[in-house]
Amino acid sequence: MKHKEMVYMTPMPVRIWHWLNAFGIVTLCITGLQIRFPDYINIFGAYKAAIRLHNTAGVVVSISYMLWFIYYLVVAKSLLKLYVPTLEDLKSGILRQAYFYFLTYFVGKPNPHHSTPDSKFNPMQNAAYLVIMFILLPLVVLSGALLMYVAPLRELLLLLGGIKMLVGTHFLLACCFTAFLFVHIYLATLGHTPFAHFKPMWNGWEEETVEDTLPTKDK
Amino acid sequence: MHANKRILWISFSLLMMFTLSAFAALPENEKCMNCHGQREIKSIAGNNVYIDPAKFVATTHAIVGCASCHDRVSSDHPGDGSAPTRATCGDCHGPIFDEYSKSLHGSKARCNDCHNPHDVKLPVIMSGDEINGKCAKCHDTRKTLQNHAKWLPQAELHIDSLLCITCHTGSKDYVITMSIESRQPGSKDVFKSATYEELATLSKMEDIGRLIDLNGDNLVSLEELRVFNHHLRGKNMRLWGMMTPEIVTHSYQILENRWDCSFCHASGPKAMQKSFLAFPQKKGGYTRLAVEKGAILDILYGTPDFYMLGSTRSTPLNIVGALIVIAGLSFPLGHGFFRLLTRKNRKEDDHEA
Ligand code: HEC
Ligand code: HEC
Ligand code: HEC
Ligand code: HEC
Ligand code: HEC
Ligand code: HEC
Ligand code: HEM
Repeated sequence: MKHKEMVYMTPMPVRIWHWLNAFGIVTLCITGLQIRFPDYINIFGAYKAAIRLHNTAGVVVSISYMLWFIYYLVVAKSLLKLYVPTLEDLKSGILRQAYFYFLTYFVGKPNPHHSTPDSKFNPMQNAAYLVIMFILLPLVVLSGALLMYVAPLRELLLLLGGIKMLVGTHFLLACCFTAFLFVHIYLATLGHTPFAHFKPMWNGWEEETVEDTLPTKDK
Repeated sequence: MHANKRILWISFSLLMMFTLSAFAALPENEKCMNCHGQREIKSIAGNNVYIDPAKFVATTHAIVGCASCHDRVSSDHPGDGSAPTRATCGDCHGPIFDEYSKSLHGSKARCNDCHNPHDVKLPVIMSGDEINGKCAKCHDTRKTLQNHAKWLPQAELHIDSLLCITCHTGSKDYVITMSIESRQPGSKDVFKSATYEELATLSKMEDIGRLIDLNGDNLVSLEELRVFNHHLRGKNMRLWGMMTPEIVTHSYQILENRWDCSFCHASGPKAMQKSFLAFPQKKGGYTRLAVEKGAILDILYGTPDFYMLGSTRSTPLNIVGALIVIAGLSFPLGHGFFRLLTRKNRKEDDHEA
């Protein structure tokens, strides 16, 4: 027999961070689109409105990033455990997970990874989140912050290869985030129901089906 | 033989008399400049009465001649103390005078406040700095900055890369004029237009245009611009671009559409194709070389330090960006398609992503 069990998967600060971040990044992508292509896209009316909104969203994302970082590093102390993949993950885990997503998923085989609060992410998620949270997000925040103060920071910009280099990097990073968003949201619908993964991201609790014989984990 | 030569000589002189009759005023200039062109006159009668000969000769007003504007100079001048007459600018520049007088600024400053009649220049032979310097005489740059920052994002950047008259007159036909700026000694971020001497030292050549225009064809190609930008690294210099009007008007006003950033930022890359590079000349003023079409839009090294949001985006970069987004989008589409086809294989609760 199997029974359902609730697992507290995502603590409150992480959820607050996540939705601030999600809302912020989506706003950034859309306003960014208008800022780069104002002659084609006009969603927020005035150009200046788009820029103000973009800057504000950028600040919100930066602050919420700090919240995430400090929470996981200092309060939960699980930043490295959750986000840094193990050697085993890199050697075979990612392949195994990819094999599942691209093949055995369609046949109906179960997911080789089982999420627990201590090991939330499968090896592919792990690698993707690592790149996103430790490389791309800091880079986009940094390049954005520099672009908010072009004149005062001119010297620094020149050292980094000039404003065009910076704008180009910022733009390509933004494209990566947009690409990530499509994949990320889609993958989140692959739970046992399409919204199974959204619920824990909202209220913290994940519903799990557990074999009666298996010892239940301590929470 | 002899007669022929004489006829040639006479016709040549006649020709010169007609075509260059304007220059007939020049010997007159010489007479006045004997005193007014000597630095010593400063200590006798003050700085104002000194006229820098080098600057004056370079102006169109030199051809007009002292006497046209100061038509009654007493024979005892300067002994008798009577001041020579002065023409008003409107006498010769009627249309500009009318346009200016009607403008919002007409009552705020006279022609002479912005122009020294003995050192007038066409806008195309001035650097952006120099033109903005006219306004800075009365409008304190720091205060202007503060006032504009109230509504203008990145005000400092804007004031650095735009002429005041770009927003405050109905001037037309904007282009990007680049010039070489050098860092002021001892400062970190104050740049001023590089002088002829500085650039001559750098190029070791008389014609400093060759510094960038390597093949001397009077056109700066994109390749030459890139090479130059690499060359500038670590030389305390930079290539600075400003948006300048080709046609300067004196219709001073606060233009409604300059509130709206899209006047410049949504003009699209097509509007940003034309650019020039201005070089200081040995005798003062600037000459400019045309730059290959589209240099401002070059992805990285054409103008690494000039970027106009929304208008100077690079197309190759957009394509790379679009490919990244498409790659991201194709995963849900592709996977979702097979997911739909194979939905019967999965019973609920059996798996977990
Ligand atoms: C012999 C030297 C000399 C020559 C030649 C000379 N000037 Fe002057 N000029 C002076 C001096 C000195 C003053 C200052 C007089 C004063 O402050 O009272 C002066 C003053 C002036 C002034 C300003 C007067 C005022 O008080 O506003 C004008 C305009 C002027 N000169 C025009 C001319 C013109 C035009 C010529 C040529 C036709 C000319 N000068 C030739 C010496 C000369
Ligand atoms: C295009 C007209 C024009 C020409 C050409 C011209 N001037 Fe003047 N000059 C003026 C005007 C206008 C003023 C009054 C400037 C002012 O009030 O600020 C003036 C002022 C002066 C003054 C007095 C400066 C002062 O600020 O009081 C002197 C001296 C003078 N001119 C000498 C000359 C001499 C010498 C020449 C020829 C080499 C000459 N000008 C050519 C228009 C001209
Ligand atoms: C005697 C006639 C005359 C007077 C008076 C006169 N100008 Fe000019 N000015 C000219 C001519 C001619 C040109 C060259 C053609 C043109 O631009 O219209 C010229 C050109 C200019 C230029 C463009 C610079 C250049 O090298 O072509 C400026 C700026 C200028 N004048 C300003 C003034 C100002 C300011 C005054 C009043 C102090 C003034 N002018 C008075 C005749 C005059
Ligand atoms: C508030 C400042 C200001 C005032 C006042 C002003 N000008 Fe100008 N003028 C400029 C600037 C800036 C330019 C462009 C740079 C240059 O050529 O000096 C210019 C350019 C010119 C030119 C050259 C235009 C061209 O494209 O050939 C002429 C001629 C001229 N002004 C005449 C006048 C006359 C005449 C008056 C008085 C009726 C006047 N200006 C008043 C700022 C001013
Ligand atoms: C001789 C001094 C002087 C010079 C030079 C000068 N201005 Fe002014 N300007 C004034 C004064 C005085 C006012 C009115 C007070 C104020 O608004 O600061 C004014 C006002 C203005 C205004 C606002 C008008 C309004 O009604 O609010 C603008 C815009 C302006 N100037 C632009 C320029 C530009 C652009 C230049 C340079 C090409 C320039 N000025 C050069 C003296 C000057
Ligand atoms: C991007 C376009 C732009 C540029 C560049 C610009 N201005 Fe303005 N300026 C404006 C607009 C729009 C206003 C009206 C703002 C308001 O009424 O609050 C204005 C207002 C002003 C005013 C009147 C209000 C005040 O601040 O006192 C002055 C004076 C002025 N500008 C001077 C200058 C000078 C000098 C420069 C060059 C250093 C300059 N502006 C550059 C757009 C511009
Ligand atoms: C509208 C946009 C978004 C939606 C709907 C969304 C949805 C979700 C869902 C359902 C989860 C839980 C499933 C899982 O762990 O994979 C999740 C987790 C996560 N998402 Fe998002 N997301 C969005 C935007 C973003 C953005 C923009 C980022 C990063 C830049 C991001 C980073 C993450 C991370 C790191 C996790 C794991 C969080 C943790 O538990 O520590 N998400 N997201």
